[in-house]
Amino acid sequence: MQELKDEVKKLLEQGSIAGFLGMIATTSGVVPHLFVADKADEIEKLTTGDVRYSLVQILRWIAVRHPDDKFGIMCRACDERAMTEMFRNSQLSMDKVVMLGIPCTDELRIACECEEPTPKSLLFGQSTAKKWDKADVERIDAMETEERLDWWTEQLGKCIKCYGCRNSCPMCFCRVCTLNDDPLVKRGEIPSEFPSFHLTRAFHMAGRCVDCGLCEEACPMDIPIRTIYRKVRLVVGELTNFWTGESKGKSPLAELGDGTFPIQ
Amino acid sequence: MADESGSPFEPKIVAFCCNWCTYAGADLAGGMRLKYEPNFVTVRVMCSARVSPHFIIRAFQEGADGVFIGGCHIGDCHYVKGNYITAKRVAIMKRLLEFLGIPKERLHLVWIAASEGDKYAREVDAFTEKVRAMGPSPLKQVRFWKDATVSKKIYKSEAAAETPAGA
Ligand code: SF4
Ligand code: SF4
Ligand code: FES
Repeated sequence: MQELKDEVKKLLEQGSIAGFLGMIATTSGVVPHLFVADKADEIEKLTTGDVRYSLVQILRWIAVRHPDDKFGIMCRACDERAMTEMFRNSQLSMDKVVMLGIPCTDELRIACECEEPTPKSLLFGQSTAKKWDKADVERIDAMETEERLDWWTEQLGKCIKCYGCRNSCPMCFCRVCTLNDDPLVKRGEIPSEFPSFHLTRAFHMAGRCVDCGLCEEACPMDIPIRTIYRKVRLVVGELTNFWTGESKGKSPLAELGDGTFPIQ
Repeated sequence: MADESGSPFEPKIVAFCCNWCTYAGADLAGGMRLKYEPNFVTVRVMCSARVSPHFIIRAFQEGADGVFIGGCHIGDCHYVKGNYITAKRVAIMKRLLEFLGIPKERLHLVWIAASEGDKYAREVDAFTEKVRAMGPSPLKQVRFWKDATVSKKIYKSEAAAETPAGA
């Protein structure tokens, strides 16, 4: 932890970053915060906490307003995967970001069912991998088609359309969102249309979702939506061998390819 | 398969046909006076790549029993590589539909050239027959209770009880 504070202090003092996006402990809880050189004393209150935020999105908003400045960001492994996709999708530029990796606590790792909790940029400490065993997806895969429809109707029927899943997602960066586009996904009605609402979002997560789980954490109705996105990630991975947050190069969905992809 | 009113089930299929090949193929099939099933509601699109995933979702949402996409053969797309992306999209979409409980067979992609009028007629017949055998889209049974916090699917029996026969 001290390692992180020292590093942030050093980077800010050197002026190599204009600010560091991390989390701060306040009397009302742990919240995202941009640490700047002028208020160096705040760095004492920098914390890795036990909560998660979509820091990556916040950094994107900051970067849009300050395109010439370089910023540091605190990265859990999931944040780091999201950053990889942000770079790939030209939402942030690699030379304007310094990532400082932090480990996650055991509680968090277990609660997140994290697939790979160790960021490559890990600065201190360690995370022991607790591999996700695909059980949630496999359980649904094993059902009969009709049973699956029942299960999802019941689950997705609880949706109150708060848009929390979209708003908390580090990978939702489109300016205009299809979920607000009335002809495609009906607005102002609950429950949400089945399957339009969730299927639309799921399709949009193809080649994007980094399986951070923030959506499910945000869902007030306890809908296991992450399972759908995990499935999307697996589908894209199996079809094209592209794994979000890990693979190098362009996404096969952003490229036309060579035409050898067969009808299936 | 029969609906509540007792008449045999006739599927409604939304077909997206690309202007340059499949639609021209359909034209040819008509010109050749080929006989094929009349269940398709055809939407002409400029390229199979114009069929955004939302079109597919929307069609199913509005009650289509099947969705058919026809494009040019690989290498023949008039926008050079449009159909490359169609193939990927459909492959992903099929798997997602299946995961949510909508049989993937209800979505069908095929390449039909402008000269393949007979192939068009055969494909229409085969797909119509397949969807007819599968019965109405399961999404038609999905209803949500307006005021309940927990929704559920209405099963055929309940739906029948709700709507008087013949209605
Ligand atoms: S797990 Fe949910 S919040 Fe995280 S990237 Fe995927 S869709 Fe977005
Ligand atoms: S967070 Fe949950 S309730 Fe809110 S829109 Fe998403 S799925 Fe629906
Ligand atoms: S023009 Fe026919 S598939 Fe592109």
